Amino acid sequence: MSGGANVPVDSLPGQPPVGEHGALSCGKDVKFSEEALAEFEKLLTRYPTKQAALLPSLWIAQREFGWISREAVDYVAGLLSLSPAFVWGVVTFYTMYNRAPVGKHLIQFCTSISCHLNGAEEVYHECRKKLGGLKPGETTPDGKFTVIEVECLAQCDKAPAVMVNGDDHAVITKDNLDKFLESLK
Amino acid sequence: MAKVTVDGREVVVPDNGNVLEACRIAGVDVPHFCYHPRLSIVGQCRMCMVEIEGMPKIQASCTVPVRDGMVVSASSEKALAARNATMEFLLINHPLDCPICDQAGECKLQDNAFAAGLPVSRTSEPRRQYPGYDRTGIGPHVIADMTRCIQCTRCIRFCAEIAGTGELTFIERGGHTIVWTHEGKVLDNEWSACTADVCPVGALTTKDFRFRKRVWWLDKARSVCTGCEIGCNISIEHRDRQVFRFLPRPNPDVNDYWMCDYGRFRAEELNAQDFTRPVVKDGGSTKETNWGDALERIQKAVDEAIKAKGAASILVIGSANLSTEENYLLNSLFRTRLGVPNVEFVVDNGALRRIKNPKAEGNQEGWLKGLESAPNSRGAVAAGVTRALSDSALEKLSSGKFTPAVLYVADAAFAKKASDPAFVQAARKAGFVAVHARTKNALTEVADVVLPVASLSGKEGTFVNSQRRIQAFSIAIVPPPVVRTDMEVLLHLGKRWGVFDTRWTAGDVFELLKKEIPLYADAERESRAVAGYPAVISPASAYDSIFSPEEAEAKLIAAAAEGRNG
Repeated sequence: MSGGANVPVDSLPGQPPVGEHGALSCGKDVKFSEEALAEFEKLLTRYPTKQAALLPSLWIAQREFGWISREAVDYVAGLLSLSPAFVWGVVTFYTMYNRAPVGKHLIQFCTSISCHLNGAEEVYHECRKKLGGLKPGETTPDGKFTVIEVECLAQCDKAPAVMVNGDDHAVITKDNLDKFLESLK
Repeated sequence: MAKVTVDGREVVVPDNGNVLEACRIAGVDVPHFCYHPRLSIVGQCRMCMVEIEGMPKIQASCTVPVRDGMVVSASSEKALAARNATMEFLLINHPLDCPICDQAGECKLQDNAFAAGLPVSRTSEPRRQYPGYDRTGIGPHVIADMTRCIQCTRCIRFCAEIAGTGELTFIERGGHTIVWTHEGKVLDNEWSACTADVCPVGALTTKDFRFRKRVWWLDKARSVCTGCEIGCNISIEHRDRQVFRFLPRPNPDVNDYWMCDYGRFRAEELNAQDFTRPVVKDGGSTKETNWGDALERIQKAVDEAIKAKGAASILVIGSANLSTEENYLLNSLFRTRLGVPNVEFVVDNGALRRIKNPKAEGNQEGWLKGLESAPNSRGAVAAGVTRALSDSALEKLSSGKFTPAVLYVADAAFAKKASDPAFVQAARKAGFVAVHARTKNALTEVADVVLPVASLSGKEGTFVNSQRRIQAFSIAIVPPPVVRTDMEVLLHLGKRWGVFDTRWTAGDVFELLKKEIPLYADAERESRAVAGYPAVISPASAYDSIFSPEEAEAKLIAAAAEGRNG
């Protein structure tokens, strides 16, 4: 008996392979840069407990290292005096922490209702075709682009909307897709 | 104190209590999984739903603090419907493989489903699967099977709050949630098997006991762990003259609900019994003999030694592994009756054992600590046996400065020293060596007489732990024929000098202790303070009440009277 409805049928973008729930190793020790460390210290002053600063600390880690590796979990846990298991539990709870490496530009196409009505899916497929036939969540061989589909980006007035890493890009249609990709290079 | 009415019955509950406890005190057992009196309250399982007057929605009773004048309906139609719904949701993804699950018989899900669940399942979909996370070792002592997990978080909270190690966590979310360690780490702390105790289902089970014996076959006996001086209360679980496991026996004053892995996995050592008949040396060869012959040889050697060289030429070694009763008999026979000045014992300092219990007397920063690797050094001292110091006869023997005419060792494994070659060599020089022994060691090899004695599971008596609490342990398994308990051996030996009556029981000796030892003066053998609480039916549903184990005990007795759980 296997293959219940809850077993994921395919790898999700930025996620480790199916059935793999442990943190992947990046193979080296990681450490915040000095600026990141200063930002982290400032963060701590804004929260009553160290534990409360976990989510923003992980954001910094994701920005610094690109994704959350086992070493990053251990490092952040050490900074906040939490158990690594607890930190990993938090990382796996939220979908926007990358648990596997992604490209330099993580292109996130919104396909929720407003963007969908404005043809977001077509743009999404077109974009993947243009980047060499990428599968959802796959990264281009040069490590530059990863394309995924996400839920509403709260840019319904500028549909179809795209988010690249943390930046919003409004009204990306088939017509201006080339220009948009060019602007990323 | 708050007055709470549960299903029409008014009960008085301490102010810091919650509704679940109030229901329990009122005699209404609200089913629950995630609630445990020593762990933080999370309201995770949604099983303990009750209706409370003045609150529009049904409430998880463990999360609601009691208030004076509260009126609770624990068995109303609405509450029962909510609990049945929760149970149905839990069973959607539970494999229902009780026949091949080792938790069956002590599983809260099984018990609660049996008591209140629907008789048939309305789902036919395949159960949730976790390839790679089922029937897998999660640590050296624990096997995890995530298909059975009901996400109550007791194990996670145990590791975070009691052990303080935080190895376990929820990974993923929603329907994919599993309880696991961080990649590359294992569930390995001093008390890791307690996670299997608190697990209400078969998701975590102990590697040692798994599939060894169906739990309903096991008989239970109240006992005390001999691993260190803390003296955790345990129940010895046995069947067909074989010990299968130890479980912690909850005692809020000592070990609370816990015990360490070291103590727990010493259980099956008790099954070893190398000596089943007295063994004596005749000339160069050894032969088995009967008790009369063995004891007569000892009596003759002792009498001759006293006549020829005086009582000071005899060395008697007691033990911190023996009960106070046994040490007392040893001391009153040799020191009081025969005038032997050297009745001594020695105890090893082992690895530090710890039990978290901030409420216990004598805790250090919340921990009870045990350094001595024997349970009863305080009892031995109270019984009059001297702790061996550097100028004692025992130390002089080891350094070769004293060669006793008779060496009487009441416990062949009294300390590490007993198998130290230098000590054994020195002991071999003694005119006559008699030892009580269960298993072979270097000392039994050189003994002139080996008296076969029973293990802890065959004895009864009392130990005095590091808090100076007197703790009684009882017989689990009647020793094999011919094998005697240490106490019986000493009684029979004492009778030869006309001091003891062989019909004495541990209770009779306890009465003597009360007269002669100040520490025991006010102790009552059957009292709660000495005997502790009863052996538990299921570690997961052990009377997990913060207020009154007595209440829970009354329920256990009532249940036994009704023939349930029996």
